[in-house]
Amino acid sequence: MGALAAVPVARGDGAVEAASVRLAAVALVVLVAGLVLGWARLVPVSIALAAGSYAAELVLDGAPLDPAAPLLAVAALLAAELGYWSLEERESARGEPAEELRHAVFAAGLGVAALVVGVALLVLADLVRTEGLALDVAGASAAAAVLAAIVLASRERGRSRH
Amino acid sequence: MTRRGSPRIEGYAALAAVGLVAALALRRPELAILAAPFALVLAVGTRVARDPDVSVELAVEEERTVEGLDVPAVATVRAAGAVDRLEVALVLPSGVDAVDEDGGVRALGLPAGGEREISFTLRCSRWGVFELAEIEVRARDPFRLVVWSSRVPARQQLRAYPTQLSLLRIVPPVETQVYTGSEVARAKGEGIEYADLRAFVPGDRVRSINWRASARRQRLVVNERHPERNTDVVLFVDSFLDVRGAGRSLLEEAIRAAAALATRYLERRDRVGLVSLGGVLRWLRPGMGVAQRYRLVETMLETGVEPTYTWVDVNLIPARILPPNALVLSLTPLLDPRFVAALADLRARRFDVAVVEVDPVPLIEPGTSGVEPLAFRLWILEREVLRVRLERLGIGVARWSGGELERAVEEVRAFRRYARTARA
Repeated sequence: MGALAAVPVARGDGAVEAASVRLAAVALVVLVAGLVLGWARLVPVSIALAAGSYAAELVLDGAPLDPAAPLLAVAALLAAELGYWSLEERESARGEPAEELRHAVFAAGLGVAALVVGVALLVLADLVRTEGLALDVAGASAAAAVLAAIVLASRERGRSRH
Repeated sequence: MTRRGSPRIEGYAALAAVGLVAALALRRPELAILAAPFALVLAVGTRVARDPDVSVELAVEEERTVEGLDVPAVATVRAAGAVDRLEVALVLPSGVDAVDEDGGVRALGLPAGGEREISFTLRCSRWGVFELAEIEVRARDPFRLVVWSSRVPARQQLRAYPTQLSLLRIVPPVETQVYTGSEVARAKGEGIEYADLRAFVPGDRVRSINWRASARRQRLVVNERHPERNTDVVLFVDSFLDVRGAGRSLLEEAIRAAAALATRYLERRDRVGLVSLGGVLRWLRPGMGVAQRYRLVETMLETGVEPTYTWVDVNLIPARILPPNALVLSLTPLLDPRFVAALADLRARRFDVAVVEVDPVPLIEPGTSGVEPLAFRLWILEREVLRVRLERLGIGVARWSGGELERAVEEVRAFRRYARTARA
């Protein structure tokens, strides 16, 4: 999460930098509070705060396309994954060393997969960056993905009640 | 198994949704790239998550143990599908603890069709019969998005016997029975202990002649001896109520003392019986030997407090449980008037009665406000009066506060040595 928070701080100038530092500090405090108090809901909040500072920097700077986005996506995913893992370890028994190593490898694999997907999306976004219809197509795909994620999540919640 | 989503699902769905909506609203594809991994994990993870169909069985190595000793137990876990992380937790009843480092909770991974044995170490902190209730199983998929959980009945029973208190001497009964034992009888007969001299009569054995005394008296005299006989002892346990506090339970301590006394008497070839007088009347006919010891302990394990307001007295006890000339050795906190009345009743029936009072006073808070300290002092005085009343009936009363039982036994012995046997 440090990387996610550091990028806008490093790139921003003046007011953006100060705001990014504050937002990063709040995100860090929220994450630490979530881990200390065992509140899992604070983990995505802290990631969202850090990502929010990145989004603000992107919008205010108006840079064309950030090539570091896939790396930041990996950082965000790993931060969330490690945060949840830490909470799981707190609430239940400590796993065997082999099991912990296996999950660490799995998390690393997730990071690599996220990097591949991010790079692919970045390339796609670069290709269709000719504005107009292409961007609309990307937006529509994003909206469809949002809907799919929400439907999947709601189905999971529905199953858990049975 | 019950399936439910982990907090990851909620968090990842929220992050993906916020990221994608923000990307759309701000027209920045980078935010969609940021959200994509979360959406991808959700989509793939929920697709590949399958119920692992975990089954678990618990086997306790020894169904019988002694309180405070470790009992190994093995949980055999099988999974039809692969489990990334399987947590097995023993749900133990009060009085049984898992003494492993992890407190009876283990986490491990299992491949599809795999089987693992997990060793636990259990310890009973007190005596009793314990039903090892359930084993809680939680399985997680590799993405840890879904949790399957279930509670499997353990169907195992653990019987913890009370620890033995050290006891060198016992309360000797006044009367003995007809079988050979270790108690020197008052009557004269064939035995080892010297009793008296008497004149030789035809039929006396030559080896009984006391030659030295005969030489002095110028006529034949023979030694008389006391025979060694066994005795009947009935342990009379008060289970009307229990007082708990400061990690102690008076009923548990009474049972522990009863077990120690029973063992000691049985070692002397005495017949030992048990009556547990309370809400539920339990008894065991006097008997001897190792089998009787186990019968006694098993009966003691079932002893518990069953609240009742009905009057229970000794008339309910079958006559064969209280043999004539038996020593009735009572273990009671002397709190319930029904038990005190039963003691007086037994004494009135000419039973040899002795009381080991499991002292409740250290567990009672005197109170600080108003008349509470005064009430406490009055209560202490009433107990003194009760003790004196029992002693006047010829019942030896010794206070025992859970320390060395030997001291309490010695107190009863001293009383019985010097007190006249009174008539109720």
